[in-house]
Amino acid sequence: MNFFEDNLALLPIAIPLIGAMLTLLLGEWRRVRAIVAVSMMFISLGISCFLLIQVMRTGGPVVFQAGGWAFPYGITLIGDPLSALFTVMTQLVMAAGLIYALGSVDYIVRYRPFFPLFLLMVAGLTGTFLTGDLFNMYVFTELLVLAGAALTASSDDRFGTEAAYKYYYMSLLASTFMLLSIGSLYVSYGTLNMADLATRIAAQPDGILLAPAIGLLLATFMIKSAVFPFHFWQPDFHAAAPTAVSAMLSSVVVKVGVYGFLRMTTLLFVAQAPLIRTILLVLGVTGVIFGGLSAIGTHNVKRMLAYSTLAQVGFILVGIGWGTAPALAAAVVFSFNHSLIKAAMLMLAGYVASRAPVKSASFDIVKGVGHHLPAAGGLFLLGGMALIGMPPTSGFISKMLLFRSGIAAEGFVPLLIIGLASILTLVYVVRAFQTIWWEAPREAFNPKPSGDSLLAPMILIGLVLLLGLWAAPLVNAAVDVSHWLLAPDLYLRAVSGVGG
Amino acid sequence: MELLTALTVGLLFAIGTFQMLRRNIIRSAVGLIILGNAINLFLLSTGAYNGIAAAYTTTVGQRSDALPQALILTAIVIGMGGTAFVMAMLYIISARYETADMDEVQGLKN
Repeated sequence: MNFFEDNLALLPIAIPLIGAMLTLLLGEWRRVRAIVAVSMMFISLGISCFLLIQVMRTGGPVVFQAGGWAFPYGITLIGDPLSALFTVMTQLVMAAGLIYALGSVDYIVRYRPFFPLFLLMVAGLTGTFLTGDLFNMYVFTELLVLAGAALTASSDDRFGTEAAYKYYYMSLLASTFMLLSIGSLYVSYGTLNMADLATRIAAQPDGILLAPAIGLLLATFMIKSAVFPFHFWQPDFHAAAPTAVSAMLSSVVVKVGVYGFLRMTTLLFVAQAPLIRTILLVLGVTGVIFGGLSAIGTHNVKRMLAYSTLAQVGFILVGIGWGTAPALAAAVVFSFNHSLIKAAMLMLAGYVASRAPVKSASFDIVKGVGHHLPAAGGLFLLGGMALIGMPPTSGFISKMLLFRSGIAAEGFVPLLIIGLASILTLVYVVRAFQTIWWEAPREAFNPKPSGDSLLAPMILIGLVLLLGLWAAPLVNAAVDVSHWLLAPDLYLRAVSGVGG
Repeated sequence: MELLTALTVGLLFAIGTFQMLRRNIIRSAVGLIILGNAINLFLLSTGAYNGIAAAYTTTVGQRSDALPQALILTAIVIGMGGTAFVMAMLYIISARYETADMDEVQGLKN
């Protein structure tokens, strides 16, 4: 038990990694590979839930100094309320993605490297959230991006490679920005441990390369999160990526940037935060409008959902931009809920496409396919309601919290704009629903007798409904997170081990 | 030496950026790789001038900073993996389209 508690911050990263190795070794036995992958995923999910409960109960983070090196020389892994919540979100959605992949008819799922790559993606993303060291974060994001791009490149779609190339090229560019920023911070402050860095930046806010470092780090996270001016790679590659993978990339992987912004404004660059917040607010509002309008103009369900991610991330950025405690709590709740909703919606789009006469999510092809798929229609409607923000779904809770925090923060102009732009969500969701489930198919056809399984989106939509009707635990956790974020001293004290 | 490193980093950045903006996808990938190397050199220079003796040896004198070297080592390994992956994808793409012109590789635009 002592081993377990000591390594609590390490295990959610280590177990998927071990699972990746095991599934790689299990070569030919497909069924055994699947069982090992799923069990590792669920063990890891269980441990991260335990981590979250532990962190929330004690109110302090779980810190792990890798290799026993004392702060600030070693690499720190830290499960504080924010990282623990994001880890649970990641592993929950990834577990659903694995379930979807098992029930999927795509050829990619039968490839030997599928499970190892998928678990590496989980490990990379979890590590990004749990690490307390900037360079370590770079390594984990690289792991995440490589695994995600390799999965996209082996898609059934013949444009998969092109899509993966686009994604990987942009991510490599983001990584070079991040390395430059790391170098600039190191030359100015001589450390890369986030807690140590925060202390030193606060003590000496005029480091020679501080301003370029902030700018480059902002650009990095904007590319990762597909924020408005850096979004162009995202919709293209979603239409071609395999459903199980694109559902992950559009829901939890874009939260890397959100996490980065939260850390930048509340821990690393507290003195410079007002400027960063203003930038995020402006870009968020632009993203909400632009994403909504672009989503209306698309001809492909998956592409539409990708643009919708752009708009939804915009809402989250507005929350971070306001920066008050309720607004941060709203941003965290919004991130959590959006991950579940968007993963479910993309899975439903993939489900419909797998039953269509030609495997494609283009509106021309999926028009009227829904007549044979009433269950998916119901789920899509619920997911769409959550995306719009209607009760009784969790989307309502997140939007209500965000708008209320906006009124409290007196940000009336952005509030008005994003309120009006929310109507765009209604337009594109209803149009997609109408095209697939109401309109008559172009010509009579027999849908394919078998397709992807509906289990994973069902679980996710169930969670969306549950979190809409019984929102208190998540909202309370997010409020705790926001108080934690606004008191960076506690973080510093916990990592450095002084008085904590 | 400092000036020489600074000039080399600057030159590599210039070449890398110029190549990245080329229309040929293979040239633009090579540009990105050059940019990655420019950044490695930049990382090296963040700790290059602080010491004269190698770290972890018995030589007397000011120890040099080992951390930037560790960072570059990691960045080089990751960069190599990334380069191999990019080249593999480029091979598939250019073979499929029989061209490397960006304007003709437009399959995703429907």
